[in-house]
Amino acid sequence: MDFGSFLKAPEIKVKVITYRDIFQDKAMIENRFGDDYRDRSAVIKLDPADLKQLSVKKGDTVVLKNSFGTIVVRAEESGYEPSHRGIAYMPNSPWSNMLVSDETGGTGIPKFKDISATVTSAKGEKVTEIGF
Amino acid sequence: MEKNYYVCTGCGMLCDDIEVESEKNIVNKVHTACRVGVAHMKEGRESAVFRVDDKPVDEATAISEAAAILKNAKNPLIFGLGTSTNETQKLAIELARKTSATLDDTSSFCLGRVVEALLQNKFKVCTLDDVRNKADVTIFWGADPSDSHPRHLSKHSYFPRGTEKQRGWEEERTAIAIDVRKSHTAKICGNYFFQIPPGGDAEFIDALIAGLSGKLPKTSYNFPPKRILELANILKGAKFGVVFVGLGLVYSLENLEPLIRLMDALNEKANFHLIPMVGHYNMRGFNENLFEETGHVNSVKFEDGTVKHGPEYSIVESLKAKTVDAALIIGSDPLSSLPRSVAKNLLEIPVISLDPCETLTSRRAKVYINTAISGVESGGSATRMDGVKVNFKPVVETTRLSDEAVLKKIMEAL
Amino acid sequence: MTNAMELYQMLPKTNCKKCGKTSCMAFAVALMARELTPEDCPPLKEEPKYKESYEKISGLFKPSEGATETGLIVHEDLCFGCGNCVVACPVNVANDPYGVGSGNAPKNAGKLILTIEDGIVKAQNVGECRRFGKNKILCNGCIVTCPVEAIEFV
Repeated sequence: MDFGSFLKAPEIKVKVITYRDIFQDKAMIENRFGDDYRDRSAVIKLDPADLKQLSVKKGDTVVLKNSFGTIVVRAEESGYEPSHRGIAYMPNSPWSNMLVSDETGGTGIPKFKDISATVTSAKGEKVTEIGF
Repeated sequence: MEKNYYVCTGCGMLCDDIEVESEKNIVNKVHTACRVGVAHMKEGRESAVFRVDDKPVDEATAISEAAAILKNAKNPLIFGLGTSTNETQKLAIELARKTSATLDDTSSFCLGRVVEALLQNKFKVCTLDDVRNKADVTIFWGADPSDSHPRHLSKHSYFPRGTEKQRGWEEERTAIAIDVRKSHTAKICGNYFFQIPPGGDAEFIDALIAGLSGKLPKTSYNFPPKRILELANILKGAKFGVVFVGLGLVYSLENLEPLIRLMDALNEKANFHLIPMVGHYNMRGFNENLFEETGHVNSVKFEDGTVKHGPEYSIVESLKAKTVDAALIIGSDPLSSLPRSVAKNLLEIPVISLDPCETLTSRRAKVYINTAISGVESGGSATRMDGVKVNFKPVVETTRLSDEAVLKKIMEAL
Repeated sequence: MTNAMELYQMLPKTNCKKCGKTSCMAFAVALMARELTPEDCPPLKEEPKYKESYEKISGLFKPSEGATETGLIVHEDLCFGCGNCVVACPVNVANDPYGVGSGNAPKNAGKLILTIEDGIVKAQNVGECRRFGKNKILCNGCIVTCPVEAIEFV
């Protein structure tokens, strides 16, 4: 992997909010190792202005990174109004969980819906495969 | 003619009006259920699988290996059970007692706090049937039932005619969404969608309480006070109001105090009930069954005839602190649903996975038994999201064992 | 939903008139109006080079079959079977008040316009729809209650 090119690519910070999506749930029931579930899970929905700043077209892959993990997912336009720059949305899945902090303040409740990460273009790299 | 209805165990709504066409134990067509329900009912097909260390074995070997893991563990974790019947859950509690286990379910990191508070009578509650028959104002707060409980609005909370709501939703009901994004549910609520910033729920609650008592509602994010006052006025006029509490709200609050305060304030001016948007079909059942036995809804540790309780006995904290030395996971996939930073510790201990389908967890388990799909291939009883008990029979037959049967066999082997 | 121009772009654009229309654009307009179906264009249907376009256009029109009288179209790929439209439809409520009108399974499925089958809404008896017939009104009960715009009238 060419790390040099990542450094030069524009990078933004986002707060990722996870949510549930019915078609993603259905895909999981049908086959949680299938393409449909991956396509509907490994996706981040960004504000169009953020996509532009990243020089990323919708459908392209991006790298999401924080101290807990790094994943490559597909970027999409959120379609939400009004503008929400710096806030991004992801269906809750093993992909989003790779970025969730283990910090819980002893409560037993991780911050599943409040993830901080950086986003850069993945320059055509493929979506992360999930496994342990 | 009385029709033959089945119960859908696809989510916490437990829809009890599902017609199914099946032939030779294969479900061909499902009527009235939503997409998730249909996928759930058509899921089963495989034959029984018993696996130890990634190799196929017979039933007896898998059961005795599972029993050995539990016997050798000092502090095994028993986790899951959100998609198990009440009968299975009660057996699991007994098994936890017997093996001095830590026992927890997914509610410890989702809605457990809310269910605990309502079992302690901190909220006024009602059933979904009450909602259909009486509710004039419903609030979906940090919840998107259109995606999580697809028939919620059509079967109970907004569109149906009820005994005291004969004129229909346009005239007699107001549905309100409070959320950080315009969800599918928020879209249906139209002008009654109140979009707040992430983490802004507690402040919005304070502002709304101020608005209810006629004070000027203020938020640091400058939510238009006029709109909050407009909302407060609708709520004050409610004859039968319901707040559906979703994960969005619960995750945003450090504790439930603001929510309890809001419900009290609403009940000073009007008549408001609370229902948690429980996801898994019998998570509420687990909470109630454990509460009955121990006074706690989750995160317990059985030891020498006593019960300890606290967040340190939740799956997240016990995996983080590595205090558990084996795990029996029933109908759940923590390697998918937990933060990877926490879940990875499961890889260091022997895991027994009972699940109708292959999951990330089953693939890494030392023992895997694929069980019957609860509610589709095996019957029993469960507790709906609103606390109503529902009995159900299997839709089709299977050669696979139910999780209840597997637990019984493991207990005998112990 | 697609417009005639978008449909035209997918057609052979040879103006061969085999469909009975004077041009491919006229055929596109006829498709939109549901006067003709994609099969009525022989080159599109038969020639391998148009296979992809043919499948795409057929896909666009497939859900509307059986519902053309009132122009009711169900986008099956969007629908997730929440049943809001089934319960909100005034004709459904009138014909089955204690079944779908009360949020439950149909007690009288034969007399309904909208039902849910395999998690997707199905339209039948569309002649009963209030948007149809002599005293038609612009009822939109099934449209405004849909969270995903899976129902539309053309």
